[in-house]
Formats: sequence, C-alpha cells, structure tokens
Amino acid sequence: MPDRATIEQARPNEAARAQLERNLLATVKELHDVKAALDEHSIVAITDPAGRITYVNDKFCAISQFSREELLGQDHRIINSGTHSPAFFRHLWSTIGRGQVWQGEIRNRAKNGSFYWVETTIYPFLDDAGKPRQYVVIRTDITQRKADVAELHRIAAELDEKNKELEAIVYTVSHDLRSPLVNVQGFGQQLTRACEAIHAAVAAEGGGPVPAERLRQPVDVAIPQALRFINAGVSKMETLLAGLLRYSRLGRVALTIRPLNVNGLLTEILAAMKFQLDETGAEVRVEPLPTCLADHIQTGQVFANLLDNAVKYREPTRPLRIVVRGRIHDGHAVYTVADNGLGIAPEHQAKVFEIFHRLNPDANTGEGLGLTIAQRVLERQQGKIWVETTPGGGSTFSVSLPAIDPPAPSP
Amino acid sequence: MNQGPTILIVDDDEGHAILIRQNLEIAGLNNRIEHFRDGQAILDFFFTRRDLADETYLVLLDIRMPKVDGIEVLRRLKADPEFRKLPVIMLTTTEDSREVERCHQLGCSVYIQKPVDYDRFAEAIRRIGLLVPLLLVPPLGLP
Repeated sequence: MPDRATIEQARPNEAARAQLERNLLATVKELHDVKAALDEHSIVAITDPAGRITYVNDKFCAISQFSREELLGQDHRIINSGTHSPAFFRHLWSTIGRGQVWQGEIRNRAKNGSFYWVETTIYPFLDDAGKPRQYVVIRTDITQRKADVAELHRIAAELDEKNKELEAIVYTVSHDLRSPLVNVQGFGQQLTRACEAIHAAVAAEGGGPVPAERLRQPVDVAIPQALRFINAGVSKMETLLAGLLRYSRLGRVALTIRPLNVNGLLTEILAAMKFQLDETGAEVRVEPLPTCLADHIQTGQVFANLLDNAVKYREPTRPLRIVVRGRIHDGHAVYTVADNGLGIAPEHQAKVFEIFHRLNPDANTGEGLGLTIAQRVLERQQGKIWVETTPGGGSTFSVSLPAIDPPAPSP
Repeated sequence: MNQGPTILIVDDDEGHAILIRQNLEIAGLNNRIEHFRDGQAILDFFFTRRDLADETYLVLLDIRMPKVDGIEVLRRLKADPEFRKLPVIMLTTTEDSREVERCHQLGCSVYIQKPVDYDRFAEAIRRIGLLVPLLLVPPLGLP
C-alpha cells in the first residue's frame, strides 16, 4: 500500500497530468483547425523522404484531376509537365535534402493533359538527427496570374510594335509631306522674282510699250515652270494626305472573319481585272487553293493589289506569267503569287512594305501604299506577307492566313 | 576666274534640284552644277568613271531616294580611300536627330535641312569650296 507521503506526492502529479492532457487536446484541436484552414486555402501534399506521396488534400485532387487512390504511393512525376529542366529539380531536391525550405513556381500537368502553374513551398520536417523525415508541400494555383503576365507581355510587345510603326509613319510623313512643300515654297519665291522682273521691265518703260524681249524669260520660262511645280507639289501633298487617312482608317474597319474560299475570291478578282490582263497579254494560272479564315473584302484587296503590282512591274520584253499556288503549313494557309516580271533586288525586298516607298517612282503612278496596307490588313487577321525572288526572275509574294482547321496544340 | 569645285546635286525630286541650282546661281555661285536622280547614279559616276583626277567635286546629297538612299551613298564614299575626303553636304527634308547623328558619324561635312536659306547655303558652299583643293588627296597612280 502506498504510504501517505506517496499519495500526497501523487495528487499533484495527477493534477499536472490532467492539465497536460487538456493542453495536449487544445493543441491538437488548434493544429487541426490550422490544418483545416490550410486545406481551405492551399493545395497540400505530404511525401516521405523518397518523395512518395503519403497525403493529399481535396484541392490537390481537384486541380490535378487524379483521385486520392491514384496519387498515394506515387511521386510527383505523375504531374510533371516536362516544362522544367532536370537541373531545376536537382536544385530543388538538394535544397530540401539539406533540410532547407524550397520556394518557387512550377508548371504541372493534370490528368487530362492540361497545364497549371503553382507557387510552391516545400517544408522539410526533420528527425532528431536533423534528416528530413517527410516533406510538406503547400501550393497555390497561379495559372491565371501566369496567363495574365503572359498577356501583359504580349500587349506590351504589340504596343511596342505599334509605336515603331507610328514612329516610321511620323518619320515618313515629316519627309514626304515636306518634300512637295519645299517645291511649293521655293517656286513661290521664283514666281515672286519673276513678277519683280516683269514689274521692273514695265516700270523702266514708264508707261510706254514694253519690249517683248524683257518679258520673255519670266513669262515663257520662269512663271510656267514655277506654276507647274507648285501645282504638282500641291497635288502630291493631297495624294499623300489621302493615303495617310486611308491607312489610319484601316485599324478601325471591323473585320468579318469566316472561312474564305480563296479560289472563288481570285475568280472574282481576275474577272474584274480582265481588261487590264488582256491588254497586257498576261496569263494567270490559279492552282487549287486551301480555304482560310479571313475577311472577304480586305483579303480580296490584298490579292487584287498583288496581281495589280505584277501587271505594273512586268518585264516589258516578255509576256507576263502569273501563277497562284497554295499549301497548308504549320496551321496556316500559305498562298504564293509568283510572276516573271522585273523582280526586286534582295536589298529592296524589305523596303517594299514601307509606307510611301516606291521602287520606280518615274515609271509608275501610285502613292506607294498598296503593300503597306496589305501588310497591315493581314496582320490584323493574324496573317503575314513577305516577298522572295522567283527562280528565273520576277517576284514571289507569299501571304499566310490562319488555316480553316488549325490542329489542336499538342499536350 | 577659278569657279571652284563642280557641285553634284543628288536628289530624286526634280523641283528641288532646279531650286538648288537656280538659287545658287542667284546667290552668285558660278560653279559647274550636275544633277543625279538617285543614289545609284552618283555611285556609278564615281565608281565607274576613271577621269576624275583633274576635277574637284562637292556633293549635295538628299537622303530618301529610290534605289540607293543618301546614307548608303555617304557610307560608300566615306569607306573608299579615294573619295573619303570628298566634301559631302547632306541636304534633306528629314530632321530626325538620329539620322543627323548618323550622317555626322559617317563623316558628312554639313547637314542642312530643306527648305534652305540659300544665301547662307551659298556662303557655306563657298567656304567649303575654298577648302576642297586642300581636302583632296593627290590621285593615286599618277606620275
């Protein structure tokens, strides 16, 4: 039997133990609550030191689309997206293997092949020897944020592109519009001088008849020349301003993107150009073309412009031959308009798309906007235009537009 | 009287070339003046003709021209040991500061923006014209 003293001693122990138990229960409850709060907010998994999954919460199952049974016992390779390098994971493992916390962004792959981004914290639980005994992995879904950032970059790049375009326009306008103005101003001064010469000749005769000889130069030469350049300068400025307005309106025209039968489109264009083509003895061959997704009117203008250029810049010593071909490449319908005309020297090929640039200003009329507008029109429809030299001479313009059935991106 | 260097106007705009010529004449310059309609024409003049040695030249160069532009002409002339001391005046409607900077780096003598104050322009040509004989290196390969 315990003596009295022992009993006296045990009573406080009982009390302490009861207190301890209450504390323990409270702590467990608190831990439980913290975990519940964590589960409510985060994607949580626990793995053993080898990385095998021993616990996942509901959010993990929801985002990964795997059931708990499919996940337990696996390692995280089951959701590896192949985005990150082996070095990335080596660094991760060496960090947590040393018992340190790892944090970073990881792109994972769900069961159906879709991707999601998670901001990840891996917290090693250490044993008495300081070795990791398990890892607690807490993640937050940042897929939307990643998409937003990517969208932001895309918009910034687009804005940058637009700014460059604007700069190029300002540059061109400052030169090309000033150029006719120089003539208007300069020949205005010549007119003033010619008038002064006439005035002086008239004044010298004091009201009597003025000898025709003294008036001949200003009246026959200086004044008509000045007027010719002034009028040409003014009409050049008018053309440039009209072109600029047309170009600036392009960005505001609403597009109707729908499947476009390009063979049908070319038949329409060639019918409208029949007179022009017959007159030059041109021969146009159109091969079967793929369908694309584009605006009928705007795309029609692009092809009309390309055919018109082929006629304009034909080689006069041989009959013009134009071949239109098409193929599907990388989700895009690529059309080529190849001619046997004058061709474009390689160093000028990039310049032909510049606003108001004209390769042969003397020989041909036009404001130098056709290809600039074609490029703009195609860019608005996720298309492109470029030029190469046709084998054997001439130019080949290529137009790419989204194909009717772009293959789904591979997972 | 020594009429100074031959002035070569390189400008695709015929009106500009006429204005330059007539205004230089009015300002009292009696130099010989020739007009070239694009950059290729002036390059052909310098790089295919072989009888340049007896003459001195001064080039008035526009920038935006078809075929070869003025900056390329300037670059080619300044890269050539025979022509690099040739005085070149850029005469253009462009006022883009980067363009001006680029022309100076390539070695143009003066950069003038159109429309031009012809009295001051003629004065600048006179001054450069006086320097031309000093600037030109003796032609190579002559006895």
